[in-house]
Amino acid sequence: MAHQTEQQNTHSHAQEDHEEHIGIPGYLAIFGILVVGTILTYFVATIDLDGIFPGANTLVALLIAFTKMTFVVLYFMHVRWQSKLIWLTTLAGFFWLAIMFAFVMQDYLTRGSGTFTN
Amino acid sequence: MAHSADAHEHYHQPGLQHQFEDMKQQEESVSIGMWMFLVQEIMFFGGLFTVYLVFRSRFPMAFAAGSNHLDAFWGGLNTLVLIVSSLTMALTVYYAQKGNRNMQVILIVLTMIFGTVFLGVKAIEYTDKYNHGTVPVDGWNKRIPEGGATHSSTAEHSALTLPFETKASAAAATDAEPHESEVIHPNPQGRFMIEAKDLELVKQAQEGKFLTDAEKIGYFSNGEGNKPDGQIDVAKFRDKVRIFFWIYFVMTGLHAIHMIIGLGVMLWLLWKAWLGAFTAEYFSPVETAGLYWHFVDIVWIFLFPLLYLLGRHFLHGGGH
Repeated sequence: MAHQTEQQNTHSHAQEDHEEHIGIPGYLAIFGILVVGTILTYFVATIDLDGIFPGANTLVALLIAFTKMTFVVLYFMHVRWQSKLIWLTTLAGFFWLAIMFAFVMQDYLTRGSGTFTN
Repeated sequence: MAHSADAHEHYHQPGLQHQFEDMKQQEESVSIGMWMFLVQEIMFFGGLFTVYLVFRSRFPMAFAAGSNHLDAFWGGLNTLVLIVSSLTMALTVYYAQKGNRNMQVILIVLTMIFGTVFLGVKAIEYTDKYNHGTVPVDGWNKRIPEGGATHSSTAEHSALTLPFETKASAAAATDAEPHESEVIHPNPQGRFMIEAKDLELVKQAQEGKFLTDAEKIGYFSNGEGNKPDGQIDVAKFRDKVRIFFWIYFVMTGLHAIHMIIGLGVMLWLLWKAWLGAFTAEYFSPVETAGLYWHFVDIVWIFLFPLLYLLGRHFLHGGGH
């Protein structure tokens, strides 16, 4: 029986799939990107970009955060190698989040001045 | 889980539950289940991010002032600590797929150590907030009796203290020692306090004419005809900063609870890995725990810039 199991292992579907993963150098490269992103976001925050347009600092900070998140989701969480169903689930999560943000803000941003405070 | 499958070993691979066709289907089912949970978690934290979005868009200067009370050095350090723990977690999954028991055990222990360091730094930060009167509930801060150089007899005046002088400069200089020359101000009732410097941000916005509609009403006292008279009402402004600290404590607190749960999961994983439960053909629990750990990391990736860094560019005009 042990012999039989071993044979199955070598042909295991799972193993074939995971050999496509990026390996240790790949994981270290993603780690490097995340560290660079963190240091970058730390120092960009000290520069006043709001002169370019209001909210530029926040936009840059969020762009860096989204980039970092994308690398974590795709590589550390292996979504890149997953089935379409998991891609769909992941994207749906962010889509519903975007709906929540959009519908809440289309209310608050269109209120007249002072509605919020007494 | 593996044990219940043992009974069916006569026609299955070890680790394959009887309701699945093969390992690939089982793995995908586990993954989809975990992702469904994570989508729920996205919405859970998303609600709090929505609260943040609403209040920050209305009171950006109060948020900037609150943010400048946080120490970006500790926040940045914790971001790096979590990223390292994410790397060790990803490598744990990698070695689980290779069936390497020793490396799994080592990397799980490392992940737990970094997770604990994160919580330790968080504890240092929370203690600092407690000592300096920035816990948003009056009475929950450290009670510091009167008797210093500051004369603050009325509640109105005790809203104005200066405990954070060195914070911003220390953060800008990336110095690890922000606590050296801080002055502790009396706070006999343990109230939530802000400092005079916070009001500078309001003045800056007032002069630059970039106050939002909500801010024009929310920061100033009412003059004739109940219209804001352009005089900063310290108590009103302080309560907008208080909103920031509520959001700070709730969001980082819930994140910390997720970290503690994650450490519990890691402890269980360590035990199973120690017993050699995970092999090249059965490693779903490692993968699933990894998904959770990375998700918690992602939440922090957003919390760090949104809470710690949002007001720092306003300080730039001052020094450095």
